[in-house]
Amino acid sequence: MADALSRVFRTFSSQDQVRKELPGTPSIYSTLLVGEQNISRSLLLLTAVTAASQLGGKAVFFTQTHIQHLPPFVQKCAPFVNPESLKKIKFCYPRTLEELLQQVAGLHESNSTSTPPSLIIVDRLEAYLCGPGGSGQVGFHPEQLSRAAHLSALLCDTAVFLKQGSNSSAPCQLIASYISEEDTRNAGGQMHGNDSVLDVLDRFFQCRCTLTRDESNEVEAAALQEVWHIYISGTTAFNAGDCEDRNRVDQEWQLLIFCDGLMEFKMV
Amino acid sequence: MHSILPAVAEQLFRDVEKIYRETSQIPDDLLIALKFVFGPCALQALDLVDQQSVNCLTSPSGRSVFQVTGASGRLYTCFVSCHYCPCPAFTYTVLHRNIGLLCKHLLAIYLCGAMAVTQQESVSDQQMTVILSGAHAS
Repeated sequence: MADALSRVFRTFSSQDQVRKELPGTPSIYSTLLVGEQNISRSLLLLTAVTAASQLGGKAVFFTQTHIQHLPPFVQKCAPFVNPESLKKIKFCYPRTLEELLQQVAGLHESNSTSTPPSLIIVDRLEAYLCGPGGSGQVGFHPEQLSRAAHLSALLCDTAVFLKQGSNSSAPCQLIASYISEEDTRNAGGQMHGNDSVLDVLDRFFQCRCTLTRDESNEVEAAALQEVWHIYISGTTAFNAGDCEDRNRVDQEWQLLIFCDGLMEFKMV
Repeated sequence: MHSILPAVAEQLFRDVEKIYRETSQIPDDLLIALKFVFGPCALQALDLVDQQSVNCLTSPSGRSVFQVTGASGRLYTCFVSCHYCPCPAFTYTVLHRNIGLLCKHLLAIYLCGAMAVTQQESVSDQQMTVILSGAHAS
C-alpha cells in the first residue's frame, strides 16, 4: 500500500527497513480516518505538511475549526516545516455542509488556471453531516444517509478528476476524518445506536484507518505520553471490473508520542 | 462509469453493448438477464433509456457529470466515477437496506453507455459547480 498516510508512517518510523522502503505508485487514493478528534486532526495536519514537503504538490485542507497553530508533535517532528511548504497547503473553513459541497465542487474550476491539488483533506465529516447532535441517530433517516453519500461521492469523484500531477494517471489523494459513534460515546457523549452514516462512508472510501488509544499501564511504564494503535483495512482496487482482482490491505501500526512531544510510528 | 460492479453485471453490459451495436436492439434473453440481476428497476431503467433521459454534461475544465430526467421531470445528478443518486430508491434500497446494486437512474446511465445513446451537453464551469454541489436541486 502506498498513499499519503503510509508515507507519513514510513517517514517518521524508527524502523530503518520500514523507513527505507520506497513508496510505490499509490494504489489507495481515498482513506477514511476514524478516531478521536484531536489525534485525527493532528495526523491530518502532519499528512498535509509531509505531502507538501516531500511531494511538492498542493494540498487543500477543509475544516470547520480555524487552525491557529500546528499541534506540538507536528511542529517537533517536522523539521522541514518551512513557510514555502506551508504555502502549498490551502486551508478552507466552510461552516456548513452546503458551503463544503460548493467548495469541493468548485475545485475543478482551478484546473485550467493553476496547478490542481494532489491531496484533499476533510477534517471531521460528522460535523458537516450530523451537526453538533452526534454522528448517528436511531432509526432510518434518509436525508442524513443521502447527504453522507452525496458528500462522499463528490469527494471521491473530485479526487479521481484531479489527477496527481499532470503526467500521472493516479487520482488525487483523499483523506477524511470521522468521529464514530463509539468514539463519541467514549468521550462522554450520548449513544445513538448503529452508526449508519459510517456504513455509508465505508461504501465510498477504499480504505479505513482506525485510531484506538492504548489505555494500558504499559504506556506509563514506558514513559510515553500516549500510544495509539492504528489499524488499516481496505482494498487497493481502482477501476477493477472484477471483484477477484481487488487486493485486501490489512496493516497495523503504532503511534508513540513521547513526553517531550516527539513521536514515531512503528509497523506491527 | 468506473465504480466496481459484480462481474456478472459488468459482463451483462458488455453483452448489451455488443448485441446492440450489431442489431440495434436488446434480445429477450438479455432483458431477462437484466431483470434477474437488477430486479424490477431494470424495466424502469429501460423506459428511461427509451425516453432519452440520460444526459452527460461536460464543462471546459473537463469535468463531467450525468443528469437523468426522472418520470416526474425531476433531474437526478449522478457522478461519473462512483455510484450515487439523490433519489429515495437509492437511499433506501442501496444505502439503507443494501439489497439493490443500483437504482433505475444509475442503471439507465450504464445502459445508455452500453448502447451509446447518452445525450451530450456542454455547460460552463460555474454551472458545473452548481450542479455538482446539488445547489440547483434545493
